[in-house]
Amino acid sequence: MARTISVEVVYRGIFQKTLAKNICRGIVLAARKEGKIGISFGRYGDSPERNGIPAKNFAIVAPNEEELQLSMAQYEPETTDVTISVDDMLCKGVESWAWYGLQPINQKVRDQGTLIVTSMLPAEALINFCHTKPTPYRLAVIPAIPSFSGLWVYKDDHTDVRILGALPKVCPELVSLDSIQKAIKEEWNDDLKVTSARRTYEHTATRTVRPGEGNPEVPFKFDLPGWTKMREGVTIDGIRLGEPIKFGDQIGGYRPARNPYFKKYTTRTMRPVIDFDKCIKCTLCWLQCPDSCFDVTPDQTYDLNAEACCGCGVCEAVCPVDNCVTMVNEAEFADNKSQWEAYKQDKQAYQAWVDEKLTHRPERSHGFRYRGQYQEQVAKQGVGPGGAE
Amino acid sequence: MDAKLQVPTLDSPLPVLEPIKGVKKAPLEEYFTSGHRTCQGCESALVMKLMVKAAGPRTVVLGSTGCMYVANTTYYSTSWVVPWMHTQLGSSGSAAVGTAAGYRALMRKGKIKREPINVISFCGDGGGADMGLSAISGALQHMDYNHLILLYDNESYANTDIQASGSTPYGANTTFSPHGKAKRILHKRWKKNMAAMLAAGHPECRYVGTVCASYAVDFMNRIRKALSIGGPTFIHSLDPCPKGWDYDPMLSHELGELAVLAGIWPLFEVEQHQLRLYGKTRAIVEGRQKRLPVRDYLMKQGRFAHFTNDDIDYFQAKIDEMWTRWLIPGVLPFSTDVLNERPPA
Repeated sequence: MARTISVEVVYRGIFQKTLAKNICRGIVLAARKEGKIGISFGRYGDSPERNGIPAKNFAIVAPNEEELQLSMAQYEPETTDVTISVDDMLCKGVESWAWYGLQPINQKVRDQGTLIVTSMLPAEALINFCHTKPTPYRLAVIPAIPSFSGLWVYKDDHTDVRILGALPKVCPELVSLDSIQKAIKEEWNDDLKVTSARRTYEHTATRTVRPGEGNPEVPFKFDLPGWTKMREGVTIDGIRLGEPIKFGDQIGGYRPARNPYFKKYTTRTMRPVIDFDKCIKCTLCWLQCPDSCFDVTPDQTYDLNAEACCGCGVCEAVCPVDNCVTMVNEAEFADNKSQWEAYKQDKQAYQAWVDEKLTHRPERSHGFRYRGQYQEQVAKQGVGPGGAE
Repeated sequence: MDAKLQVPTLDSPLPVLEPIKGVKKAPLEEYFTSGHRTCQGCESALVMKLMVKAAGPRTVVLGSTGCMYVANTTYYSTSWVVPWMHTQLGSSGSAAVGTAAGYRALMRKGKIKREPINVISFCGDGGGADMGLSAISGALQHMDYNHLILLYDNESYANTDIQASGSTPYGANTTFSPHGKAKRILHKRWKKNMAAMLAAGHPECRYVGTVCASYAVDFMNRIRKALSIGGPTFIHSLDPCPKGWDYDPMLSHELGELAVLAGIWPLFEVEQHQLRLYGKTRAIVEGRQKRLPVRDYLMKQGRFAHFTNDDIDYFQAKIDEMWTRWLIPGVLPFSTDVLNERPPA
């Protein structure tokens, strides 16, 4: 091998921190088996990580130390040979902690590079989420429910080793399956994990994504002020006050002004759907939302503003009415339009829309709910169709 | 004890903040809005929102280093509507006094209009219960200045990835106290009893209270009372933290309730020398509400996932002791018996 190969793992902060670390560490350990040298590191700008906010981890494998040093002089690789998205909803875009606006998931993937996604969705659905790219790249889907856990208890559902197993298939230059298996055996001393990796290697197939295929939207971005433009004392303007909502003849309620620079369109994996006919106007979803993402409508009901919702699910938890506020998989939404406006325009059509959405409740868990939960989930789901026999 | 506390001779006028009567009367306006970089289900962000919602537009907020500084005002953008300024980790107390004194002087000199301006200085448990304790103590002695110090307590240095603080509960997993095979429990300190310590230690202070944002109206009314009573005041809020406590973010609200219902987080206020338990804590003490077992609370959190039944029993025994043997149950941790219990680990 004569060139340096870069791999990035795009993941949900904290929830998938250990997972991303395991993958990048595994890559470097496997490369060592072949006499190559590598480094695994997290992106400085993503630290300190926040639950659910996208973050990145990198693995760089080089033929020799000089080449590695050369790549380490950069903050992060400019292009990657393989980008791994461990949550399929990141295909909609990456809004990092650090101030980058919205980056397409495939932004760094080089010409003919590979995007690996863990998802239960078909490749076509994922491509529709991904922004278009002028150069072709390949997509490999590893069938798995995106693996979420927390800081202290790791959900060991083999997602890490299955991704490691797929890597030699999509990028044989990086490392061989044999080295991956040796590294897994050494690191985890678990034959089942070695088998999982091999099975995923055997099952993984890629599909080429042509230039222009995917979501044609231009991702939102904004101008970053240089240090010369900063004011004395590094002061900035506060957010202005909110205003009542105008809709048709109605004026009333309240819509807070919001920070225009940090939106949460892709921070969530699920979002609330509101059945306005069931709402008893108890205010709790609005009052208890840490992100102030609800607008108070002129009807004194509460409308989700998708710009600000990070998908925590507290609104559903506090709502005293069954199926009034319900979390639904983010995959089921193609836009970020106001639900209340749709409701006002056509109540029957809205009700049908709500009923359809409610059939897509998230099967994933955002993390630890009770002791023993992960073991139960893994026992129920197995380690995936590509996993152990 | 019956003598009314001396009302401070105040140059700066006090705001009139009526209690909010029920969730439906909560003000619509947001003075801390969307677009902060906190975790999904961050209760501390909710604390910020409710704090300024209760305080209103004529409020200046000071924040010492911690999640609520880093996450809310990074990369040249903010989600604050009211003026906000950063202050150093241990100096929430000094910043509160300095700012209140500054406004008083400006008003006295006629440089700004004479009007009530709320000064709220917040700190995390690292900045407040550990590093800033002396500055807060100093601030609570200066009776001439009106301000509120709010301690948002997520029981660790969560911003820098969960190091143990003086507020971390017994046995919790942190990056400073990982559980292992040789030592299952590494963190053996019991949580600091901040609010009672400050109430007992600052006899002139007119208001000290504990709150939990799961009870939003009670929370906002405590803020209003503290801001309008005069002199320096202190409020301690328990904030479930999905990152450090390791739980599904949708449980944030529920864990706050469970902490109160299990008797782990007593809701009380000391208003002009008068101690009053309130909310569910009062219901528990008066027998209208059953105190829940701590197991319900502990087993929903990854930071306690390593607990054995013995550990849970020990935790329960300590909480029981708090309600049965403390001089003032839930508040003052003295008892007449000498206890020689040791942790089972």
